[in-house]
Amino acid sequence: MSTIKTFVGTRLTKSMLSLWAILIVLFVITGLVDHYFFTVPSIGVTFQLAVPLGLLAAGQTICMLTGGIDLSIAMIATGAAFIVSIKSPSGLGMALLYAFLFCVLIGTINGLAVGLLGMNPLIMTLGMNAVLIGVFTVGITTFLKGSSTMPDIIIKLSTATIIDPLSWPLVLWLLIGSAVLFLLTKSGLGRLIYAVGDNATAARLAGVRVWKVQLAAYILCSLFGGLAGLMIGGQSGAVSMSLADSLVLPSVAAVVIGGTSIMGGIGGYTGSIMGTLILTVLSYLLATLNSSEAVKQMIYGSIVLALAWTYSKLTEKS
Amino acid sequence: MNSIKLKRQSWNIGIILIALFLGSWQVSRLPVFGSYEARTFLLGILPIALLSMGQAIIIIGGGINLAIGAESVLINCLAARFMVDKSFTVAVALTIFFLLISVLVGALTGLIISKSKIADIIVTLATSFILIGLAMYIQPSPGGGMNLTLAHLISGKDSAFLPPLITLILPLIVIWLPLYRSRTGIAMFAIGSNKDSAFLSGVNVDRTRIKLYAIGGLFAGISGIALTAITLSGSPFASISNTATLNSVAGAVLGGVALSGGVGGLTGPALAALILYFIPTILLNYGIDPAYSQIITGALTIFVVLVGGLIRNRGKKK
Repeated sequence: MSTIKTFVGTRLTKSMLSLWAILIVLFVITGLVDHYFFTVPSIGVTFQLAVPLGLLAAGQTICMLTGGIDLSIAMIATGAAFIVSIKSPSGLGMALLYAFLFCVLIGTINGLAVGLLGMNPLIMTLGMNAVLIGVFTVGITTFLKGSSTMPDIIIKLSTATIIDPLSWPLVLWLLIGSAVLFLLTKSGLGRLIYAVGDNATAARLAGVRVWKVQLAAYILCSLFGGLAGLMIGGQSGAVSMSLADSLVLPSVAAVVIGGTSIMGGIGGYTGSIMGTLILTVLSYLLATLNSSEAVKQMIYGSIVLALAWTYSKLTEKS
Repeated sequence: MNSIKLKRQSWNIGIILIALFLGSWQVSRLPVFGSYEARTFLLGILPIALLSMGQAIIIIGGGINLAIGAESVLINCLAARFMVDKSFTVAVALTIFFLLISVLVGALTGLIISKSKIADIIVTLATSFILIGLAMYIQPSPGGGMNLTLAHLISGKDSAFLPPLITLILPLIVIWLPLYRSRTGIAMFAIGSNKDSAFLSGVNVDRTRIKLYAIGGLFAGISGIALTAITLSGSPFASISNTATLNSVAGAVLGGVALSGGVGGLTGPALAALILYFIPTILLNYGIDPAYSQIITGALTIFVVLVGGLIRNRGKKK
C-alpha cells in the first residue's frame, strides 16, 4: 500500500513540476514579447481573465473524474448569463434563482441520461449543446426578449480590483477553488467520484449508487458553468449568443493538460488550475501577436495539442 | 453466423422501413413527385450521408472524430476558393488534389492520435479548431464557386437525379466494399472490438487506425466537394462544422454502428441520413419555425443514441 502511495506521489510531483516548467516558459516568452506583461496591473488582469476558465475547468474536472465529459458547458454558461441579464429588472435574487434552477435542470437531464439511461456522455452533452443553442436562438426573439446588460453587482464582482493584483473574481476563485479541492480530496462525495471514474462496475458492486454520483457530478459541473457564465457576462458587460463559445475547447484542454484522465479516476483540480493559467497566458501571448482570428485559432489549436502531447510524454517516462 | 447476419440486416431493414414511411409521408404532402423532387431529396442527404459514412468507419475502429465536420468545411472552402472560373479539366484535377489533402488531413489526425496516445476526443477537438481556422484563412467570408459542368456532374441539374445518386453510392462500392473485404477491414473490426487483443493477435493497431482516419477523411473530403457542388460556395463557419459533426455521429449510430466500436457497416449510416433529413423537413412543413431545426437535430440525436443503446443492451442481456 505504501509503495503505491509513494509511486502515485512521485508521479504527481513530477507532472506538477512539468506543468510549472511549461507555465514559466510561457510566462517568460510572453514577458519578452510584451514588456508590459510583467507589470502588476497586467498580471492582475491576466489572473482575472483566468477565473471564468478556471470555474469551467472545475466543472469539467469533476465530470471527467467520473469518466464523463460536458460539452454543453459553454451553452449552460451562456444560458445562465442570458437569464440573469433578462430577469434582473425583477430583482437580482429572482434572476439568480432562475439561473440556478436552469443550471440544475440541465445538469439533472445530462446526469440522469448518462447515469440512469447509460447514454454516451459525449453525445448526450453535444446534443444538449445543440438543443440549448436552438432554445436560446429562438428565445432571444420571443420569451427571452429584454435587457442584455448584466446587473452592476455582478459586473463589480467579476472585474473590480481590491488591491493590485488581487481582484474580486480572484478572491471568489480562491474560495471556490478551495471548496472544490476539499470536495475532491477530503469529502465522501469526492471519494465516490474517483471510485466511479476508476471502475464503475467495482464501485457499483461495493454498494455505490453510481448514477447518483454521476448525477451529482453533472449538476455540479452545470452550476460551475453557470457561475463562469455570469462572470464572463460581467467581464464583457453584456451577453450574446457567442458569450462562452470559445471556451469549450479550453475548458477540456485545461483539464487534460492538468493531467486528469478523460477515462476518469486519475487527476485533480490542482492540475486543472495550472492548465487554466497556462492557457490564459497563452491566449494573452496570442492576443499580443497582430494576426487574424483564423490564424489565432490555428495556433491555439496546435499549441493545445502540442501541450497535451508534451505533457503525456513527460509523465509517461516517469 | 446466420442469426448474426439476420440481426445485422434486421437493423437495416428497420431503417429502410422508417425511411420509407417518412419518405412517403413527405411525398404525400407534395403536389407532384417527379425526378426533380427526387433530386432535391438526394441533395438534402448527400453531404450528411457521406459524412456519416466517414464517421462510421472511424467509430467501427473504436475511435471518434469530432473534427470530421471541420474537415468537410475545410475542403468545401478550398474547393470554392480555388475552383471559381476554372476550366473543367483543371477543376477535376483540383478535385483529386483536394481529396488527397483530405486523406492527408485524416491520416495526420490518426497519426497524432496513435503517436501521442491522447484520447481521440481531445485530439480531434483540437484539430477541429485548427481546421476551421484554416478554412477561415482560405475563405474569410462565404463565397467562391465551382466549374458548373463539374458541379452538374456531381450533383445533377434540374431533374437529373442520377448524378447525386451515383455520388452517394459510388464511394460505398469503390471504397467501402474493398475495405470491408480486405485485411484492413478485418483489422478495423478487431481493434474496434478490443484493441489489446487485436494487438496481441498481431494486428498493427497504429497503422490500421491511421488508415481508418485517412479513409474517414476521404469521405469528409467527398462530402465537402459535394457541398461545394450543391451550394456553389464555401462557408467557413464553426457552427456548420459542429452541426455536421453532430449529424455524422447521429447518422452513424442510427445506422447501426455501436459507439463502443467493432459493430456496424456503411449501408446503415447512408440510409439513416434519409431519416435525419426527413424528420426536420416534415416538421418544418407543418409550419414550425426554422430556428427550431437545431433543437430538433439535437433532441433527435440524443433520442436516436438513447434508443439505439437501449435496444443493443437488451440484445446483449439476452
